[in-house]
Amino acid sequence: MQFEIVAKCHTTRARVSRMKLAHGVTMLPTFMPVATQAAIKGLTAQQVEALGINLILNNTYHLNLRPGMNILKEIGGAHRFQNWRHNLLTDSGGFQLVSLSKFTKITEEGALFSSPFDGEPTMLTPEESMSIQHTIGADIIMQLDDVVSSLTVGPRVEEAMWRTIRWLDRCIETHDKSGKKDVQNLFAIVQGGLDPELRDKCLDEMIARRDRVAGYAIGGLSGGEEKDVFWRIIKQCAAKLPEDRPRYSMGIGFAEDLLVCVALGVDMADCVFPTRTARFGVALTFQGPMNLRLGKHAADFRPIDESCPCPTCTDKMSRAILHHTITLETAAAHAITQHNLVFQARLMGGARDAIVNGTFPDYLKTFFKNYFGEAGYPEWCVNALKSVGVDLLEGNPGARVQAGAGAKWERVE
Amino acid sequence: MSTSALAFSLLPSDIAQFSPRLGSLSLRRRDSSTSSVIEIKTPNFTTSTSRGVIPHLSRDHVRSIKSIRWTGVPFESFLDRVPPVPVLQTGSAPLHTFLGYDRGQHILAMSVRDPFDGRDMPANGKDHISALCIRGVRKVTPSSWKSYFYSCKPDVVVALSDVPYTQAPQSQKRLQKSIERSTVWLTHLLSKSDAPAAASSPEAPSGRPNVLVNLVGGTDERARAAFSENLVEILQGKEQEQISPLRTLDEGVTGYQFELLPLRATLRAEYGQVSQEQDSTSEAGQLSALMRASLHSLPSNKLRITYGSQTPHEILRFIRDVGVDLFDIDWAQRAASIGVTLDFRFPVPKTSVQYSVCVQPKTRGVGKADIGHNLFNFDYAHDHSRLASTFLDGEAFLATQNQNSDKLPCCHCGACTPQPFASTLLHDQVTEVREHPTSPIPPYTRSYVHHLLHTHEMSSHTLLVMHNIAVMDAFFSGIREVLQKSHSEPDLFATEVDRFLSTYAEPETLFAEAEKDWAKVESERGKGRLAREKQNQGGGEVEEG
Repeated sequence: MQFEIVAKCHTTRARVSRMKLAHGVTMLPTFMPVATQAAIKGLTAQQVEALGINLILNNTYHLNLRPGMNILKEIGGAHRFQNWRHNLLTDSGGFQLVSLSKFTKITEEGALFSSPFDGEPTMLTPEESMSIQHTIGADIIMQLDDVVSSLTVGPRVEEAMWRTIRWLDRCIETHDKSGKKDVQNLFAIVQGGLDPELRDKCLDEMIARRDRVAGYAIGGLSGGEEKDVFWRIIKQCAAKLPEDRPRYSMGIGFAEDLLVCVALGVDMADCVFPTRTARFGVALTFQGPMNLRLGKHAADFRPIDESCPCPTCTDKMSRAILHHTITLETAAAHAITQHNLVFQARLMGGARDAIVNGTFPDYLKTFFKNYFGEAGYPEWCVNALKSVGVDLLEGNPGARVQAGAGAKWERVE
Repeated sequence: MSTSALAFSLLPSDIAQFSPRLGSLSLRRRDSSTSSVIEIKTPNFTTSTSRGVIPHLSRDHVRSIKSIRWTGVPFESFLDRVPPVPVLQTGSAPLHTFLGYDRGQHILAMSVRDPFDGRDMPANGKDHISALCIRGVRKVTPSSWKSYFYSCKPDVVVALSDVPYTQAPQSQKRLQKSIERSTVWLTHLLSKSDAPAAASSPEAPSGRPNVLVNLVGGTDERARAAFSENLVEILQGKEQEQISPLRTLDEGVTGYQFELLPLRATLRAEYGQVSQEQDSTSEAGQLSALMRASLHSLPSNKLRITYGSQTPHEILRFIRDVGVDLFDIDWAQRAASIGVTLDFRFPVPKTSVQYSVCVQPKTRGVGKADIGHNLFNFDYAHDHSRLASTFLDGEAFLATQNQNSDKLPCCHCGACTPQPFASTLLHDQVTEVREHPTSPIPPYTRSYVHHLLHTHEMSSHTLLVMHNIAVMDAFFSGIREVLQKSHSEPDLFATEVDRFLSTYAEPETLFAEAEKDWAKVESERGKGRLAREKQNQGGGEVEEG
């Protein structure tokens, strides 16, 4: 990997960087769409490429079950399997073991779970996770970590943090010996729950291994914790992580979360949200999410967003025809998925340009005003951005501020 | 002011009443925005839509598939709102605009009912037919139909006709009513009543819309002939005044269409449910006879369309025995929805052609080959070859460029020959404009589509629809080539049809197997699915877990 910082925001901790991997250059900060089963739901790889997206994510846990490693070996990896010519990242499989399997038991050796095929006890070790990810062949691979829910408290959190560090060492050993180091890049995952002291210890340990990892992820968040705690942990981690390594915040996809994370120094994020919400009829716009299932869109002949360059909006596909077809025709899901992925890409592309041009604070203010102006600014965003020198409420004394997570949703009638 | 004149011409040598024929259909547009001609060589196919869209294809895909031209749009799904939403769309081509079809590429034919929905419906009335939308049954009258047509401005309108979708078979009296109502409703469509005064409507130069009429009369040949006679009867007095300057209804009709679904239902009710190849042959024979009964007294130079043929075998028979020009390929589009990739050609490839490393479709007990592959089948989990053995993929085609003898044709679909889109969006000013790799993108493989089907990923159907449409496009162009050659070799087409019929099995079994697998994946979704599946497979499949 070649990683090079191109520009830094003069106020916040945001930066623009150039990450060169085996399948091309990806400019950061960026959002990575999730192709869980080796497909962005409903789209072909060529369609995804045309949207200006050049880094996507596959889930190791799922690909290991289907199609299975034999098939991926035969065909030569996940790039060829899904016909994707650009960069690819895989997670370690650990997160899904915890979130999808009831019977996972963590031992020092690895994660012991019952096989979804036959219920037989099966062990996912750090070495095995590496080996699976080597077969998949993604440009960025993740260490196996000991994931605990972000709501867990007590000694289990610390135990998981230390184990994650020990597993990192085993992943590094396996990866170093694999002969894949020049084409696949291993990222460490910072754990430590919501406890700043544990996070700090974890950061120290992981930074000590900086010469043997290509980048860092901030894990263990986005699990229902308070937003106010969330941003403080992100800020703490991003601030301490080495400047010359990409920083990846896992499971982040709401527009406001993305921009706050970028302002705090995060470079990459992924989430199923924009593609999943598309299938339920929600289109993302700079004025907030738009629920196309609502009756009020039934005879609205405007596109989702006049200024959007996505295939759906440039074709002038109306809210009315989307309302007529969503949830009944897969083609409607495809159209909104294309739009939502472009929305995420524009949001991050706009941030990159603003950082380069020295206008990122204004970019944040404009975004939040348009997105939340009416409903009220989420308090945690105001606080998070204030901590890096941007006052969203500046010059706007009448602005409303709302407590809580602040996501803005139109409900179905 | 827009004009869209649909013209149909046959080769002079192909005017015989009931024989295969080569024709050309052209729609010429002249208006402020477009001046274009859409030409369709016949025999050819039409694409069918659901809720106005071609299932599984996003608009960028529809545009990129150049063989998608004539597209049928059933209107009934829009009846859940009053007025129906497309009626409110403004512009010179509201239906094209609303549904995202390109006026330079797509001919839209609007009908009330979906010709592939054979469900029992409440009876039609003296002044309405029953149509189905998501909120239930709606009545459509001749006047409302005419107003929807004039508001939506499709290129072609199918006249309202009284086809009973009640329990078959119908009585003699019911057929009589069907004929009378369909005649009256066609007269109303062609008349000046309820037509907008201004000529801002889609009109032929003659000042008339492009109208298709369903030839009705059920399974009674005399009734069918009677309806056709109504069409060509020279009208007198008041009746003639209504449609003046036309003298007969037929003069106002651009083409004839046959909806086979209700006919099949009636035939099966009359002759009892029978299955397997023998009977589908005789069903095709019976349907051909009914179509001929309708066409007998009608001019032979008009466009003939069928809706509801179910196999390539039937299509060939209807071309050979009736001289049908346009066919829907709903069965092939539907095959994509149940995981079937088509793999056949007409004329049947010579046996000397090498299939390279690509497994051919299964051969059934009768020694005939399937027309495709059920990609749900676990045999394909490790099959990393292209979708069809009878075509090369783009990459292999290029690789064998210099090899000229007995080379397979190329399948240009988005699955076998994936093409990068012409432009890639850029979202900032710092990203370097990336040059696309110049090497061809390899084909999507059977193993990948198999994986997508079993993981319930929608892209599986997208890839298969693109492919199946391409196979059908090649099928029809093969038919036209053989017909062309038949001018110098008179028996060629009949010989090739026989060869096709004796080479390929009718697809009932293949489709039934695929449908069963599809239903299984649908029902097994959710937690614990892999275990359930493993149990059902009896441990046959070995996969890591």
